Amino acid sequence: MPAVLLFAAFKLYPIGWSFVLSLHRRVGGVDTFVGADNYRRLLHDPLFWTALENTCVILVIQVPLMLALATGLALAFNSATLRARSVFRLGFFLPMVTGLVAYGVIFSVLLNEKSGLVNWLLGLVGIGEVPWLTDPLWAKISLGLVLTWHYTGYNAVILLARLQTIPSELYDAAAVDGAGAWGTFRHVTLPGLRPAILLTTVLSTIGTLQIFDEPYILTQGGPDNATLTIGVYLYQNAFMYFDFGYASAIAYALAVVIGVLGLIQFRVLGDRP
Amino acid sequence: MNVSRRKVLGIGGALAAGAGLAGLTACSGTGSAGAGSGSAGDGRKGDISVWSWAGPAAELRALVPDFNKRYPDIKINVQDIGNPAIWNKITTAMAAGGAGLADVLHIGVDYLPGYVEKFPDGLADLGKLGATDYKDSFAQGLWQTVAPKGDRVSALPWEANSAGFYYRADIFEESGVDAAALETWDDTLEAGKKIKQKTGKYLLGIDKPASQADAANFFQMLLQLQGAFYFNLDGDITLASPAAVKAMTIIKELNDAGLVSDLAGGWNALISSIKKGTAAVLPWPTWFGGIIEETVPGEAGKWGVRLPPAVSRGGTQATTVNSTHLAIAGSSKQQAAAWKFVEFVLTRPESQVRIYKGKGIAPALMTAYDDLVFHTPSEFFRGQKKGEVFLEALKAPSPAFNYSPDYARALKVVADAQTKVLLKGADPASALQKAAEQLAEQTGRKVL
Repeated sequence: MPAVLLFAAFKLYPIGWSFVLSLHRRVGGVDTFVGADNYRRLLHDPLFWTALENTCVILVIQVPLMLALATGLALAFNSATLRARSVFRLGFFLPMVTGLVAYGVIFSVLLNEKSGLVNWLLGLVGIGEVPWLTDPLWAKISLGLVLTWHYTGYNAVILLARLQTIPSELYDAAAVDGAGAWGTFRHVTLPGLRPAILLTTVLSTIGTLQIFDEPYILTQGGPDNATLTIGVYLYQNAFMYFDFGYASAIAYALAVVIGVLGLIQFRVLGDRP
Repeated sequence: MNVSRRKVLGIGGALAAGAGLAGLTACSGTGSAGAGSGSAGDGRKGDISVWSWAGPAAELRALVPDFNKRYPDIKINVQDIGNPAIWNKITTAMAAGGAGLADVLHIGVDYLPGYVEKFPDGLADLGKLGATDYKDSFAQGLWQTVAPKGDRVSALPWEANSAGFYYRADIFEESGVDAAALETWDDTLEAGKKIKQKTGKYLLGIDKPASQADAANFFQMLLQLQGAFYFNLDGDITLASPAAVKAMTIIKELNDAGLVSDLAGGWNALISSIKKGTAAVLPWPTWFGGIIEETVPGEAGKWGVRLPPAVSRGGTQATTVNSTHLAIAGSSKQQAAAWKFVEFVLTRPESQVRIYKGKGIAPALMTAYDDLVFHTPSEFFRGQKKGEVFLEALKAPSPAFNYSPDYARALKVVADAQTKVLLKGADPASALQKAAEQLAEQTGRKVL
């Protein structure tokens, strides 16, 4: 019961109220009902589409790469030949424990173009200064790298847990049938991992669509909106421009996008009846 | 397995997660409803909290002992919230009807109109507490900023910053350029070329990828030197005006000539470039002089200061580029006591002189300038009287600039346009035209 009350007070009420807000615009200090105006404005707002596009680029490029990497890591963690296994597992999982803001700040220092450690190290091997956070393309790449650093280990651990539930008889049978390493992976491991892959895909998709902390701290959405995500744009509208109605409309648009993508993923990857 | 049920649950989870973000914005509520619920209270005693940031906060704190000699029963608690954190904190507190808001708030000109427009009762009317007595005490144009319609006084001016031009006199001498003789920015462009050739130094620095909201400071100064701004007094968008195109064109020419260093990373990059001596000129306002002295105390005698060159020959070199103010929360129950502190800090020359001596924050209060400190030669600036340089600017007629509640949005589109011009070689006129149209789309304002 307390849980329900808390949920109602801190989740349900804000969710409902922000919908009401999304139908209003504050004019001269008074919330004025404007119907679907905020949503109509959304459709014609180039920055909203830029934000959506940036978010989708991360979704389409970073998430699959990260999950492939996580699957590889999970296999390695599970390998009988790996020594000091728990050290590696802990090492890759540890980034997940660091606070979003803390690691964002650390990376912004590391990736500083003029005085960052990364460019200093690259300089030692003769590579010139890389504009990690100040060039539109490089800023996107940096954001992808930082996200990968933070979340790969986490996904690997989820995949690993599933990996360990695949019965070893299946591998024995595959060996008897003469399947090679690749055949075993494709026909035994991957099908066995399917539920975990679905889970990590959906979680990563939701996480990516809501991504805020990293671009906010690393680049503030810049340069020239190259790393503007929906979360950052929402924040700017609410807390920099005081346009709560429009920000709420963005949030609802985002919820719809997440819902639709989630549905598609369950269709494509989910258990078939 | 129960596939359909799992699907439904999964989607539900995804939706809830999305809507959780929606919840982020839900705290705005009806805002102002409760914000005007404050009252004057007893003017002789109270427990007053003050929000400010960094240097100014320290100076406010330093004034408290003197204040308590006169008002022993009013306790003052100054909190350094940090800038820009303070703006979020004020916004959320005002949106919550003033819950948790301090009694006295330090607010910049860039945020003041926004708060006033979005939260009409968020700030107390200081006119009722006695502020109108000081109507003519402040630098030109500032009363219009705090009381644009003349009926309601939302704040009282604290600092008034004029456009400035700090330069490394030793570098100018080495290059054989007379800094004092620069009349226009075209002259300055030629001077910059000489400096680059002789010493390898840049003329000035700009945060090209706009890592910070104020990345277009220099652009804004060039605009204000022409008496122009992002909005006109009617609130129409003037971002694509000839003056704006001229300002952006100057920046492009300086950049194309290789005279602009990149201050990517914002404030920290700026400070480290001062330490390294990357550029010969810092086209920053009054308050920045104190920062330079603090950053490179060992370079005393190497620096000079003057007002910036004009945009066109014979044009003005003086303009007030920004101001900050103290306001009282509309929700405060001790407005009378809070006013005592505001009055003590802002209308008493001794207080302002002390603050100037501490952190070089230039008073908006004109009587403070009678003090000798503004008329003594500065060792750091080669015996120049820095105070007089800027006092001359404050006395010059300065048009009122309409920051409007949409200033933050304007800054953003301007910074993006500047990034396009500097990093992608965009044409100033078309980049600004696009910026103006985008701003119009967002705000429903007209483009002139």
